[in-house]
Amino acid sequence: MAQINPDFATELKEYGAFDFNACYNCGTCTAVCSLSTEENSFPRDMIRYSILGLENDIKSSLKPWLCYYCGECSETCPRQANPGELMMSLRRWLTAKYDWTGLSGLLYKFLQLSIIAFILTAIGVIVFSIYENFKLETIMHYGHLFEMLAIGAVFSLILIPNIIRMWWFIILKPKVKVPIVSYFKGIWDLIVHMFTQKRTLGCDDNQFRWFEHFILVGGYLALLFTTIVLDWFGTENLFIIVLGYVESGIIFIVTFDFVLSRMKKKKEISKFSQPSDWFFVIWLFLLGFTAFIVRIFIDTSLLENNIWIYLFHLIILVQWALIIVPFGKWTHFLYRSFAMYFEKLQKDIKISP
Amino acid sequence: MKKRIGVYICHCGSNISDYVDVEKVKEIAGKENEVVLSKTTMFACADSAQNEIVEDIKEQNLDAIVVASCSPKLHLFTFRNVAQRAGLNPYNYIQVNVREQCSWAHSDNPPKATEKAIKLVLAGIERAKHSQALTPISIPSNNAVLVVGAGIAGMRAAIELAEMGTEVFLIEREYFVGGRASQWNELFTTNETGREVVSRLYNKIIKTNNITLFTGADIDSKSGSVGDFDIKIKIEPRYVKSGCKLDWAKFKKAVEICPVEFDDPFNFGLTKQKAIYKNYPSEFPEIPAIDFEHCNKCGECVKICSDIDLEQKEEILNINVGAVLLTTGASPYEPEKGEFGYKEIDNIITLQQLKRLIELREDELIYHGNKIKNIAYIYCVGSRQVDGENKYCSRYCCTSAIHTAIMLKEKYKGINNFHFTRGIRTYGKQEILYNKASKQGDIFLQSFEDSPTEVYNEKGQTVVKIKDILTADKELEVNADLVVLVTGMVPRENNSINNILKVPIGRDKFYNEIHPKLRPVETVIDGVLIAGACQAPLNITESVKSSLSAAAKVNSLISKGEIELEPTLAQIDKLSCNWCDKCTAVCPYDAIVKKEYDGKTVAVVNEANCKGCGICLPVCPSNSIQLIGYTDVEIESMIDALID
Repeated sequence: MAQINPDFATELKEYGAFDFNACYNCGTCTAVCSLSTEENSFPRDMIRYSILGLENDIKSSLKPWLCYYCGECSETCPRQANPGELMMSLRRWLTAKYDWTGLSGLLYKFLQLSIIAFILTAIGVIVFSIYENFKLETIMHYGHLFEMLAIGAVFSLILIPNIIRMWWFIILKPKVKVPIVSYFKGIWDLIVHMFTQKRTLGCDDNQFRWFEHFILVGGYLALLFTTIVLDWFGTENLFIIVLGYVESGIIFIVTFDFVLSRMKKKKEISKFSQPSDWFFVIWLFLLGFTAFIVRIFIDTSLLENNIWIYLFHLIILVQWALIIVPFGKWTHFLYRSFAMYFEKLQKDIKISP
Repeated sequence: MKKRIGVYICHCGSNISDYVDVEKVKEIAGKENEVVLSKTTMFACADSAQNEIVEDIKEQNLDAIVVASCSPKLHLFTFRNVAQRAGLNPYNYIQVNVREQCSWAHSDNPPKATEKAIKLVLAGIERAKHSQALTPISIPSNNAVLVVGAGIAGMRAAIELAEMGTEVFLIEREYFVGGRASQWNELFTTNETGREVVSRLYNKIIKTNNITLFTGADIDSKSGSVGDFDIKIKIEPRYVKSGCKLDWAKFKKAVEICPVEFDDPFNFGLTKQKAIYKNYPSEFPEIPAIDFEHCNKCGECVKICSDIDLEQKEEILNINVGAVLLTTGASPYEPEKGEFGYKEIDNIITLQQLKRLIELREDELIYHGNKIKNIAYIYCVGSRQVDGENKYCSRYCCTSAIHTAIMLKEKYKGINNFHFTRGIRTYGKQEILYNKASKQGDIFLQSFEDSPTEVYNEKGQTVVKIKDILTADKELEVNADLVVLVTGMVPRENNSINNILKVPIGRDKFYNEIHPKLRPVETVIDGVLIAGACQAPLNITESVKSSLSAAAKVNSLISKGEIELEPTLAQIDKLSCNWCDKCTAVCPYDAIVKKEYDGKTVAVVNEANCKGCGICLPVCPSNSIQLIGYTDVEIESMIDALID
């Protein structure tokens, strides 16, 4: 027995969903979806749950993550109920629910809070620089240190606990009995999906987008490795220097295209952008672009006299690492791949009861 | 006796000729003495074949024709017209059905099919020999009509008929016009109020010369038949003088002082009313009325207003009209006690009550002292019943409920609408309202008839539960502040009219038309027509459409001053008839009356009423009744031909 809660629809609208109440349950969206299967059919049921406000059913569902937003459902919906954007909003809502701090939800819902957070972090960096008398070497040293610490802290304090919460919502709370051995057997799938996002290829006409996304993720992870482990900004090694240029180049070129398509609004996927979507692509673009410029300034020995460019890069980096990665859209990198992992676990149960 | 008969055997493409040897039939038919011409034809109904028959009749001087083809249901009138075009009396045409009765029925046995076809054609020739030239009967008609029921349908038809030059008597049982529509505020899909529509029609009626309106009036008795009905109308007094100029303050005082109080039917019992009343200020006619059923005749109001006259008497009025149009409308279905908790759980009302409640509560929606936030609508109450008798869909309720739900959300803050449906039927343009309701956040749930929505009380909360087929049969529930039963339509109780006019009533208890597609506003009682929601559940648009079509039909029936009737009627031989009343007893149409003739009592057929059904023939002990077109000599000669 479930209680209908019409207020949920109102809440979901704060996450970007709109007009989904117009749905009259024809199921065209599910019929045209190329990722929907008989066992895991969507998005019709997700729309229904959203209208009825069946939060628990949504929280225990992986379906929002199984959708890769080709937008065909929204194009074919006879009531213009925008199922594609509803699934996107459910992913934002789930991200907020997985986050134990509750900050994700607040940042999604209130743009003002995001802006304040961005301003505060920028002020922090500037105050720190003043404190360090704008000494480039020290600031860069701490910048490098920050990267390492931030990754460790964000993962251990925010992301790993959130993944555990996701696991609790999906496996533990609905009492899905998964044998321990399945957890190990599924790890390969987790890794494959995390680094290839190959499910995207199941969507119609999504090959180019998958390719862009694939090299972006590759470039991003590689740049992370190059800056932190190989110390791109400090190295003299030509290979590493060139490698960093290529990686950061990939990031800002691909994200530039993403920003552009969100402005053009030609495809369903880029028609409706929430602030969180803009922050994500723009900050990633700035991250790649400023890193690229900083390295150019190092190579041309101009950085010493133009420390502001590094400070700008550092501000973007701090905002990225402290706001967007733990509480913003970045997390979909983890939730999507873990969703595939959990789906595999659920499937194991279904096959061997 | 006809002596120059033409016979045509139709192939019907190959429908007949594949199984019936049409050439053989032609040959045998041609050997009959009186048959001067026997032919086969590919399609007798084709233009060329029709023209050929016309020429044959003229050239060969035929005095009767037989066409052996399909069922007379299909082409009787086609070939009667052919005969007429050739100058032959249409009743000297005989159709023999060799398709449905021979080739189709006996496709497994062509020789036998042919044999049967021969017999039938020979019988047809015999009948043709004895066929008589008949002319349609013409009876005078009075270009006046009685319209019963001054709701939207009745008023609209009355106006239209008056404009076409017919004298209209419009009677209304209640003391005020408008019927159900005056009880509704905004109507879908225009958002006009029922009252606006009613007053527009009333103002037009007042300005139209040849409409006479009687309120508090009902049919008392009827005699005569189509074109010439004598009707007695009983008019209940209003107990307020007709010359009264309504002084609102005085009226208010009279209402205040009236000691009688009872459930207000206009508000479906949501409020109380007094014996002297007017349901709303602009109600028509302007003069208030006294409900004499409840009035205790204390006379307190007379002291205040000298226009009140408790001594007024019932009047009987005699009118003569050519036709009667029934527009008696429908009532909301009254749920049984306990049906979805009705009258057992106290926050359960009907849609009609809700519509009144909205009007009574201007600022906030409050029922029984509780502010209403969550409203659950249960659809198809009293319609599409699984166990009950009302199997029909009431058509208007889905849209009405949705329209009301939209209005509620616009009028009051914080309303949540939950629709417990059995599938939404907002057909046509009404779909836009369904879309609007969905978009504004109304929640629609649906169940099948085998697992109906449940309403029960749990810890002081009214819970509505459904097995929602739109959510994979999940059981869902809502705590409702108000449960609204979306009740359908049932016909108004019109026992007196039913007994007097004998209009056939369908299984659904609504009046029955002759043919739902081709004769949708006529009844089998000639001159009695039906329109609006007395015939079937209809919304206002549909009611007005049907009332206008009935108006047109009434006009075409009575406005010419005379009415043509089929001549194939019963005829009673006055010489051999010795009145025994057996025929009158069996006649379903009141078509046989007692008359004095030549010093004795005989039965006489009222031609306007007779349908030519023939039910009176076998009961006559003296065999005095003949059915024209099917006389004994015709039928006997056919039987002879068949058994030869």
